[in-house]
Amino acid sequence: MTPSRRLLADVLRRRRRPALVGCLASTVHQTCEALVPVAIGLVVARAVATGDTTAIAWSVAGVLALFAVLTAAGAYAFWTIEGAQLREAHHLRVVVLRAVLHRPPTSADLRDGDVLSVATSDTRHTAEVLALLGYLFSASVGMAVSAVVLLRVDALLGLGLLVAVPLLVLGLQRLAPRLERRVRTRQEAAGLAAATAADLLAGLRPLRGFGGVPEAVRRYRTVSRTSRDAAVGAAGATAAVVGAGTLATGLLLLGTAAAATALAVRGRIDVGELVTVVGAAAFLADPVRTITSCVQGLAVSRASAARVAALLADGPGDVPGPRSAATGAGEAAAAPGEPAPLVLEGVSAGPLRGLDLTAAPGEVLGVVTTDTALADALTGVLGGRRTPEAGTVRLGGLDPARDPVATGRLLVEPHAVHLLGGTLREALSTGTPGGAGGPGGRGPALLERALTASAADEVVRARPGGLDAELLERGANLSGGQQQRLALARALAADRPVLVLRDPTTALDALTEDTVAAGLRDLRHGPGAPGGRTTVVLTTSPLLLARCDRVVLLTADDPRTGTRTLSGTHAELLAEPAYAAAVLR
Amino acid sequence: MSAAPGTTPGAPAAAGAGTALPVATARRTGAVLVAAARAHRRTLVLALVTTTVASAGLVLVPLLLGRVVDAVVADLGATGGQDAGQQGRLWLLFGLLAAAAAGTAVFAALARAQSERLGVEVAADLRERVVDRSLRMDAERLERAGGGDVASRVTEDVELFTSSTELVATVLTSLVTVVLAAAGFAALDWRLALAFCTVFPVYALALRSYLPRAAPLYARERAVAAERSRVVLESLHGARTVQAYGAQEQQTARVEVASGRGVGAALDALRTFARLSVSMNAAEAIGLSALLLTGFHLVRAGAVSVGDVTAAALLFHRLFGPLGVLLLSFDDVQRAGAALARLVGVADTEPPPAQPHRDVRHPATLTAQGLLHAYAQGAPVLHGVDLEVPAGGTLAVVGESGAGKSTLAALLGGVLAPSGGRVLLDGVDLALLDPQQVREHVAVVTQEAHVFTGTLRADLTLAAPGAGDVELLAALAVVGADAWAAALPHGLDTRVGAGAHPLTAAQEQQLALARVVLRDPALVVLDEATAEAGSAGARELEDAARSVLAGRTAVVVAHRLTQARACDRVAVLEHGRLVELGTHDELVAAGERYARLWRTWSASAPPAAGGSTGHPGVTGRQPPGHPGHDRAWVVEG
Repeated sequence: MTPSRRLLADVLRRRRRPALVGCLASTVHQTCEALVPVAIGLVVARAVATGDTTAIAWSVAGVLALFAVLTAAGAYAFWTIEGAQLREAHHLRVVVLRAVLHRPPTSADLRDGDVLSVATSDTRHTAEVLALLGYLFSASVGMAVSAVVLLRVDALLGLGLLVAVPLLVLGLQRLAPRLERRVRTRQEAAGLAAATAADLLAGLRPLRGFGGVPEAVRRYRTVSRTSRDAAVGAAGATAAVVGAGTLATGLLLLGTAAAATALAVRGRIDVGELVTVVGAAAFLADPVRTITSCVQGLAVSRASAARVAALLADGPGDVPGPRSAATGAGEAAAAPGEPAPLVLEGVSAGPLRGLDLTAAPGEVLGVVTTDTALADALTGVLGGRRTPEAGTVRLGGLDPARDPVATGRLLVEPHAVHLLGGTLREALSTGTPGGAGGPGGRGPALLERALTASAADEVVRARPGGLDAELLERGANLSGGQQQRLALARALAADRPVLVLRDPTTALDALTEDTVAAGLRDLRHGPGAPGGRTTVVLTTSPLLLARCDRVVLLTADDPRTGTRTLSGTHAELLAEPAYAAAVLR
Repeated sequence: MSAAPGTTPGAPAAAGAGTALPVATARRTGAVLVAAARAHRRTLVLALVTTTVASAGLVLVPLLLGRVVDAVVADLGATGGQDAGQQGRLWLLFGLLAAAAAGTAVFAALARAQSERLGVEVAADLRERVVDRSLRMDAERLERAGGGDVASRVTEDVELFTSSTELVATVLTSLVTVVLAAAGFAALDWRLALAFCTVFPVYALALRSYLPRAAPLYARERAVAAERSRVVLESLHGARTVQAYGAQEQQTARVEVASGRGVGAALDALRTFARLSVSMNAAEAIGLSALLLTGFHLVRAGAVSVGDVTAAALLFHRLFGPLGVLLLSFDDVQRAGAALARLVGVADTEPPPAQPHRDVRHPATLTAQGLLHAYAQGAPVLHGVDLEVPAGGTLAVVGESGAGKSTLAALLGGVLAPSGGRVLLDGVDLALLDPQQVREHVAVVTQEAHVFTGTLRADLTLAAPGAGDVELLAALAVVGADAWAAALPHGLDTRVGAGAHPLTAAQEQQLALARVVLRDPALVVLDEATAEAGSAGARELEDAARSVLAGRTAVVVAHRLTQARACDRVAVLEHGRLVELGTHDELVAAGERYARLWRTWSASAPPAAGGSTGHPGVTGRQPPGHPGHDRAWVVEG
């Protein structure tokens, strides 16, 4: 079984009750719809044409009863099936997100846009299999009921219609590829126009700053016109399909009416049956249309399921459920452990060659590189995103890239700030038990101290609502410096034994940077700190480096000799020209 | 497209704080729609005519079938034998039916094409106007509304409205069909028409209970969906951060909560919609029963024939579709109307009027006189700043966070209009220039860099539409970006930005500076343009900035004091007041605020790094070749 089929089978198994009940209700609904023309025919023949008062009373009662069943079944089917679909799409969305977040850090970057479309639209289309199969079945039954009715009126006429209607619908399907092509072109053009507008708006301030507005308006007009022309083209194709469909149903009705009239004139069928046949012929196109659109929909659903399944397979072998994953890195951080050194031995990764480096417990270690590529490689290796070509990284003898206990004791804060959550409080909470956001532990007090240490307390105070202030997408309502300070506060509040920071103060002014440099040291290594904490700062800021116990300079001037390291205090190393050049303001 | 409510909640949660942009009233929205349709008069007339003809054909078919039934009844009644007159009548009826079927098909196609075209053209006009107005919107209003509100209108609302053009076609067709059907019933007998009309009170009652309930439900569904996509997107953008913290389960739980809320909101909306569909079926049952009962009595009274009743019943059966479309698309129409109201709200904002042209020499002298500024409902940020920068001179603005540096930069750069005081460029008050002219003379670069999606060439020519490759490459060379630009896989034709060739923060800012070179403005304002690039990158950018500023009048907001030192003069802001102004050396020698800042900044830097200019007593670099510079750089207050 292919992964996509297996996924769809899972969906059906998970929702079998609502799917079956919904399908049954929908079948009742479709059957009633098929019986409406029969009812009209009967009433005309038995009551209207005869003038029989009892007959009309029964007729009206019958019509009302038929519609009562039709209505109840229809609404119930809609509610059951669509509800199951919503819940299933939600379930899949969560599973997809969990798989994406649990991807091994070394795996290649996914394009956010692609994942977003899998997480939103593909999960929805996959869940649609529930409705599609249900409606496919019920429409087939509806068609069968019509068929039986027609066959009972006249076998030849019934058979003729049963052959002609599907043929006509299939014939109309031949127009579909052209329509689909045009619609695709239209969607692409519309997408481009929308993306252009979003891009211009996203860069609105810079755009206005350099006076690019007139040119931007001109460019948008160009893509908007292209989109308009594509939409007119698609409208033409739609019109052709609509016209052909109208012609086909019209001719079908005409042919049926003519044949039934001929039968009626010869006395083979009565007037009521004539009405029934004409009504049924008009109705028959509905279930056939439903069937074809369901078949098309199933293809879409299968394609979406394939994309969802691929993303799930791309993730870790088995996606941990909420329970098993609770023992993830976050929880391991709370595990007790003796303070242990972070040791790199002979690590080679890209520009790094045979690097030996040790950060001892209780130490604030500054790392200065002559080239940002070295710093990138080092943070990549420490953060587990990059597998070293040679050498080992050990924290207390364990590999932080593999061993969850070691992973949980180490935090490598990325330089690019991503604040997550709808409020400042959420953004600062990282779910670490014992850390600031988690239950137990030193909670709020630690958070307060982390905010003070990173000079983020004034950022919080300046917002109405303090910690509960709203945080816009991508921190849009915070300046770069404010975001950087909050990210640092978050890292400090997570309170991991080993903390690695990369250029944590680049967006701060000198005075604030100085405050932060002091606060950082005080919080993790000052009086009142748990002791045995290790802090590694990759930076070229003299303010930060001056507060490190030890600074290591990494030089990569000659790839053959490997990465040279030079160790000392900031003051000592200043005598070294390469170091002085690297930290030169 | 009717009934666009004027009371649409302005901005969803995502738009955040600030005053939302206006939302047009229903009346104004309708007026704009009518005016927009009139601009495409030919399409409008064609759409209306073809739709009417197609709908007439649709209504005619059941009426003709009713006549067929009458002919058959008459034929059967005629002494068992076959009546030649009735036979001829049947041939005629079927001829008419064939013509009606063919005509309906042709006109249905034409109607569809024309009415969709009308919608498409109107939507294109409107969205172009909305984008134009959004990009040109005056800065105060934009800042007050927040970028989110404008962005959501230009993207979501435009898309929603554009995608509803198919709705125009189906709703128009259904509406005309129902109206013509009513006429068809009346043609049979006015009492049958009356029986048909019993569906309308049922619909009215259904909508009366549905609409007030649905509006808040859909608003909530939209808000919840926005929150959900925010959480999903932040999870994707911030996946590395989530992994670094091992917070995968916490983040998954956040997604689960947000998505679960979405399910709750959608289920509420679903329940309400299911109720509406029940009402629709109820109306069908009541209408059909009324028609059959009325028909029964009319036939007994001899007022109509059995064929008439058959025609009425068949016609009604064929109206199930159009009636359903009208009822069930009501909230689509409403949603499109709400989007339209928000679009019209933006489209109606008037861009600042054009002003007569005034000459400004490049580079220009910059003069600020008594600049005051307070943001809406806020305390004053600047309290009367006076300064003058001679042509070709550079001024650094330093100070702590919140001192008003960025506000001053925005006022000098003509981004914001001062609450009080004047900014003169070569003696011309910026307030007398329209934004278009201001941007011809002043370029502003902030730390908010943006790479516009598309090729590198397209990104640069946004600043200089006519520029050729030679000019573009020269501009890249000025900012030191020529090396990496040449190394791109397709050179200037490489697609850069989101989802394409990624650029580093430093490269993005180099592009921003290259655009300034291409603009060649009279004044450049850099607001921490070199901040967000890491230490090594910052130095490269400072070099780039220095090349760009050579020979130009410039104001540089800097927290990296090396950048301040490289400027001709340094201004220190504190709590919105200019407290010091002088050369770097003068201020260091003065031993006041700037000296303190400088000490902190250079405290731990290597002594050699300070260079000779870092020490008091050594002559600072004066801007050469500007004879008037000694009387310039005035501080008054």
